[in-house]
Order: sequence, then C-alpha cells, then structure tokens
Amino acid sequence: MSSLHNGGPGGGLDGGPDGAPARTAVGRMKFGDHLCLTYDNEEERYAVLMAYIRDGLRADHKIIYLADQENPRDVLERLAAEAGKDEDALRTAADEGHLAIRPIIEAFMATGRFDPDETVALLGTEIELALVQGYDGVRITGETSFSVRGWPGTEHFAEFEHKCQQAFQAPGTRAMAICQYDRRWFGPDQLRILESCHDGRVRVDDLYADGVLTITPTFTPPGLRLTGAVDESTLPGLLEALHGAAGRAGHLCLDLSGLEFCDLEGLRVLIGAGREGASLERQVVLRGMPDYLGLMMRLAGWDSAPGVYLEGAIR
Amino acid sequence: MNAFTGTGDATGRGGAPGPYAATGRDALVHRALLHRTDREFATAAVPYLREGRRDGDALVVIASAAFGDLLREQLGERDAAPIEFPDRDAWFAGPMHAFAAYHDRARADWWPRGRLRLLVQPVWEGRTALEVSEWKRHEALINVMFAGTPTSMLCAYDAAALPGGVLTDAMRTHPELQDAGGVHPSGRFTDPADVYAECNAAPLAPPPPDAARRIFASGELPGLRAFLRGEAVRHGLPDAACLPFVLAVNEIATGIIRDGGGHGSLWVWTEGRELVCDLTDPAFALDDRFLGYAPPRGGRRGEAAMWAVRRLCHIVEIRSGAHGTRVRMHVRLPG
Repeated sequence: MSSLHNGGPGGGLDGGPDGAPARTAVGRMKFGDHLCLTYDNEEERYAVLMAYIRDGLRADHKIIYLADQENPRDVLERLAAEAGKDEDALRTAADEGHLAIRPIIEAFMATGRFDPDETVALLGTEIELALVQGYDGVRITGETSFSVRGWPGTEHFAEFEHKCQQAFQAPGTRAMAICQYDRRWFGPDQLRILESCHDGRVRVDDLYADGVLTITPTFTPPGLRLTGAVDESTLPGLLEALHGAAGRAGHLCLDLSGLEFCDLEGLRVLIGAGREGASLERQVVLRGMPDYLGLMMRLAGWDSAPGVYLEGAIR
Repeated sequence: MNAFTGTGDATGRGGAPGPYAATGRDALVHRALLHRTDREFATAAVPYLREGRRDGDALVVIASAAFGDLLREQLGERDAAPIEFPDRDAWFAGPMHAFAAYHDRARADWWPRGRLRLLVQPVWEGRTALEVSEWKRHEALINVMFAGTPTSMLCAYDAAALPGGVLTDAMRTHPELQDAGGVHPSGRFTDPADVYAECNAAPLAPPPPDAARRIFASGELPGLRAFLRGEAVRHGLPDAACLPFVLAVNEIATGIIRDGGGHGSLWVWTEGRELVCDLTDPAFALDDRFLGYAPPRGGRRGEAAMWAVRRLCHIVEIRSGAHGTRVRMHVRLPG
C-alpha cells in the first residue's frame, strides 16, 4: 500500500491504462474541449450525453446534436427516454430551439458529398448564430457512425475531425464538442487515428468525490469503481452510490483495486450491497480486492457471506 | 493423593464449579493437568489420547517437542498417527492469537469430525507480567467461549517448575484438576467474569510524556491514519504490519466517533519490543464483558470491530467507567 489516503480531490482527469488518452469527466468540460466518447454500450453513452446536455441547458448553452438519422423527432424521443426526471425540460428545450437536433444529411445537401471544409464552416456559422442569439456558449455533439457507410467524401472524415480540433483550439472559443464513437463500428486502428484528432476521451462524471473517496460508475460490467478510502466520513457517499446502483439491472461489479483503505463497517456495506434493490437475488462481484480486505473478511468471519463473489486473483 | 503440596485442603473436593461443570457430550471439559514429572504427564496424557482415539475424536496436541516425542513413543505409531501436532510456539504466540486459532480450526476442521480432544501445554517462560495476566484471562475465557461445544481441553502445567502464582491461577481457571491422585473438581474455581474483572482491576499507567499525541473527531481519520502510519514506520514496524495496525486503531477511533463521545485522544509510543497505542473516549463507558472474544454473530457493530481489533493486535486492554474509556493496543515490533 503506497499511501493511506488519496492525494487530492478527484480532478476529473485521469490517464487511462496502457497510455490510453487522458479522460475528462463530462462535468469538467470547458470551452475549447473537443473530446471523443468511445462507448461500448448505450448505458455508458447516455450517461455521458445526458450529463452533457443537462449541464448545457443549466448553463444556458445552445446544444446542437448532429444525428445520423433523418428524423429529428426520433432522436428527441430517444434522448427523452433517457432523460428521467429531466424529460419535460428536454422537450421544452427542443421546442424552443435551445436543443437543436440536426440530421447529418443536411451537411451534405450543399455539395452532395461530405466536405470537411464545408462542414467545419457550417458548424462555425451555427456557433456564431447561437452566440448572437444570446446563448452563453455552444455544446455540440455528433454521431459518427455515418462515416463508415461509404457515403461520398467520408474517407475524409479524419481530416474533418482534425479541422474541428484546430477550430476548437482557436482562442476565445465559446464552444465544445463530444464526438460519439460506437466501438462496435470502428476498428481499433481506425479509432486510434480518430481519437488522436481530439483532446482525449470524455468519461462519465464521478458519483462521489471528496478528496478521500472517489466513486465512478462502470458500464462493462455494470458497477462502481472505488478509489481512495472508505471510513466513517465517506461511508454516506458510498451508501448513496450503492443505493443509486440498486436500480440498475443485473449483477453489480465493485472494482476495489484502487481502494487503499476500508474500515469494517465499509466492508460490511460492500458485502451487503446485493441485498438492496433488484427483486431477483443479485450477485455482488468484488473485483480486485486488496489483500488487507481479504484479511479483514477472514478476521470478521464474513468470507463465506452468501451472494458475494470474490473475483480472480487477489492483489 | 495430591501431586503437589499445599493444595490438598484448598481444592475442596466436591466443591460446586457451577455452570462450568462438565456434563453430557456437548459439554466442555476444561481440565488442568498438574504434573511434577514427565512420567506423571505421560501417565495422564496417554490414556486421555487413547480414549479419544477409541471414541473417534479429533485429536490435537500442542506441546513441546520433547513431550511430543514422549507421547509418540508411549502411544506407538498406530495410536499416534491420527494426532495433529501444531507448532507450540507459533500457536501460543499471543493469548488472543491462540484463542482465535482455536475458534478458526475448531469450526473449520475439528468439530465437523465430532468431538475435539486437545492436549495443550501453555507457554509461561519469558512472558511479561501483562502477558501472564492475559494468559490467565485466556484460560478463564475458554470456559465461557467454548461452553456447550464438544471440546475436551487438558492443559498441562508443570507443578514442579512453574511459579506458584501460575499454578494457583490454573486452579482458579479450570473447573477440573488432574494430578497423580486422579481427576477432581477444583474447589478454587472462580467465575470467569470475576477473573476477567480482576485482570481489569489495575489502572493503566499513563502514556509516557514523550508519547506522540493527536486528537481526533469525525472527518479527521484520513489525517489520523497518515499520522499512525508515519509513527509505525518511525518505530520500525515492518511494512506488512503497518496496515493491520492502522486498521485496528481506525476501528477503535471510529467506534468512539460513531457510538461513543464523538471525539477522542490518541497516544503512540514504544515499550520494550512493542508499539503501544492508547485511545481515550472522554465521556463514554464501554460495556466490556468479554467484548470481542467471540466471532460476531448478530452483526452488533462494536462486537465485530473488537473481535477484529483483538485479532489484529498482540494484546488489547480496555478500562472503562464513569471517567470514560481507554483502549490500549499492543503490537509486537520485530527483534
């Protein structure tokens, strides 16, 4: 154990494994950021997108959604279904133009083919117009799966991303963007090239971060990653996060590999996490459990608790 | 006849050991074997083990290498074969360590096979005064914690060599005695709760003036843990032992914050080859009746924490009353 507690507050920026691009929490995005959302499943995708849109509406930013679908209504319905208690606000925003959903096909109409320069210019006009309309800033997000369909000009898609990156880096920019990459559509090499045209990846916001404990949702598998220390002061944060996770379907994977300290009460709560929520018996998978927690479980006589599965090699 | 002098009258045969008297198959037998010679030891131990083999008991001998050899020789290969001989020094490394080892092994390996028949030879040489007192507590607690379990424990005491105080305590902590005259109830047997209270009677000496001190309250435990780790390293606690030490102290501090007076003080220092840590709760009294000597059953919070804390430390002392509570944790330093 290198240190007993976290060095500093969860800065929202962390390097991925194996030198992967830096990941910025969506709630920490600022103007000029041009990030890619590389996702494996829809839950992860919408967790990021809905936070991005919600934060934008709250900050009075215009939100421009470039959709790979011709009918903006369908896109709105998809978003509304994920919005939860913000559904009404989302629909109102769409009615008022605060949230503008634009089919990507529109960007083609001018020339009949995908033209990187035209598209960047079109986005520039959108941004300028929004600011003239009195918005405090602009948040753009675009789906990218159209680029693999072989439409004329899409072989220049990386060039487009590169030009976007240059445009967003211009000083004084009051816009930011998230490009959505469905990992199932792109090859790893292709993704690497496209990602390099961005400032890095965007990730979901931490559920809890107080400088001692950070709790981050995970999606493959569904669960929570705990970093730092669980003790009497951070336990309420853990309880709340587990309570929220109880509504999610399926088993619950708790990644403990970054948990540098956990007291007995915290351990008791982690082991009992499966008992809340889901109607069916749900299993809790404790992943990457540190040695000292295994010791505590044995000492407390909890190593045979039902519904708990200790995964893989103990660190 | 009695094998040792001066106790013939005191044992008062036929005295009432009360609820700790052994009856029935699931009753605990806890008997002190007071032997003056190796031969007296073997004369009692060999039939005890043979009987166990005949009954199909799980047989465990935790004794010196010399006694182990003696028993193997006298029992013969066939009778000695089913006996497990755990290492004596490792087993008796500390009173709580041994207590927990009985709990763990009995549940996992011994009781599932039927009745457990133990022959043990506790270590008294080289013990500090505190350790001797805690081993007395250990012997008294055996009667409480293993009551109603299918366990026979024959504890060998060398009546010719051990100090009189240790032998007197053996008579007070074992409901039955065995000597050259046979098996008989101990007239001096004392209620384990009284022995327990006796062990808590002397007040703890205050921490030395040069002990490092901190105060703590809710939200301050991350800083407290960093401080503890620093002190542990400074005093030479090996890296692997630092986290268990910090975990133990953190549990006590958490209990004071959550269930006690809400804030407290802490001192750390070294004494001999031990790292010692005191925590005080200025207001709250703790009900320390055998607290933390049994595995937690009902999920009562303090019970689970103290069971873990005692197992993480060499010795844990508790003094509690109207003036508040002081918990003193001893952890061994290497060398």
